Amino acid sequence: MGPLIVNDIISSNTNLFLAFFIGIAFGFVLESSGFSSSRKLVGVFYGYDTVVLKVFFTGAITAMIGLLFFSLFGWIDLTYIYINPTYLWSTIIGGVIMGAGFILGGFCPGTSVCAAAIGKIDAIIFVVGIFIGIFIFTEGYPIWKPLYMAEFMGNLKINTFFNISSGTLVMLVIFAAAVMFWIGEWAEKKFKAPKY
Amino acid sequence: MKTRIIITIIFVSLGLIIAAVPENTTKPYKLTANELLDEVKSGTQFVHPDQVADMVVQQDPTLQLIDIRSKEEFEKYSLPGAINVPLNDLLSDEWKPYLNQDIYLNVLYSNGTTRANEAWMITRQLGYKNNYVLQGGLNYWVETVLNPEKPGMTSPDDEFAKYNYRKAASNALGGGGAIEQKQDVKPAKLPPIKKGNKKKMVQGGCS
Repeated sequence: MGPLIVNDIISSNTNLFLAFFIGIAFGFVLESSGFSSSRKLVGVFYGYDTVVLKVFFTGAITAMIGLLFFSLFGWIDLTYIYINPTYLWSTIIGGVIMGAGFILGGFCPGTSVCAAAIGKIDAIIFVVGIFIGIFIFTEGYPIWKPLYMAEFMGNLKINTFFNISSGTLVMLVIFAAAVMFWIGEWAEKKFKAPKY
Repeated sequence: MKTRIIITIIFVSLGLIIAAVPENTTKPYKLTANELLDEVKSGTQFVHPDQVADMVVQQDPTLQLIDIRSKEEFEKYSLPGAINVPLNDLLSDEWKPYLNQDIYLNVLYSNGTTRANEAWMITRQLGYKNNYVLQGGLNYWVETVLNPEKPGMTSPDDEFAKYNYRKAASNALGGGGAIEQKQDVKPAKLPPIKKGNKKKMVQGGCS
């Protein structure tokens, strides 16, 4: 049955229309659960608030379990799911830059837009910074290109890389998540949030 | 605290179930004659020379050109970075890793489209993905990319933009009469062979 667009169940315009509402709902939930506060976001790096870690991992394992069960029931054809192509070096370097920006600025790209929408000045400056970064990247593209395209690995999945079934990988991620949540809660007790 | 333990138990048990069941048992790959006909009719297998030229000029690592003409013709002239898989040897084990992979965008070409299309249909019938056909073949490539025709004065701006682009691409690819020019582009590396992933063979249909 799924994915809906590939099998002509909905058109790509309908898809964008649905995405608009899902996007608004996503932003609303982000904001209402406090994700527009940079103190809450960077708490994960200082150990006093690990809600970011918990939310992202819960989202990931829910989606993983959902997709695999949907595939098992024949509701979705996983061969049609788009898998981001892996360019190893740009992934690693991009991750480091993104992490550094996260600690420095207190937002990740999505939450910065969310916080800018409610008028936080630091978030607005952060968004301006994103555009400066985009400008540098695009204007300097010929310089970065060899690095950007290096170590192309195709549309690789972690489980094919390690030669295990996707179900086993999901199980391992769930165990890892449970352990991490437990460590996170322990850290929250150990490191107290600074008073402002 | 109690709800957390319950949620953890639910997630862990779902994880154990999904790790235990075999993968994707419900939908084996099948391409019926009708589906193949639909694909042929809609022409989704074709890639326009402009797009291929763009990828060649950009040295896009995902592109793999495959020349399915004979060895003699390939040695006489081939596109930059192309490998030679003569149609007669299409099914030999040597070429299987090139044709059956999910990393590169394979573009098959011959002088016209007929032979490349034949090769494409065979690979499609075998369930291979990522194989496409150069629209119009080499003849159309020479016509559009290497020796683009200047549009008439009254043509829309689009035509001029296209012409200018092709002229630039032609220079980069050694067109404009200098067809014999050799390009120093190495063929893409052999994609890593996936292990533990059974090859899906066509079942039923016209195998």
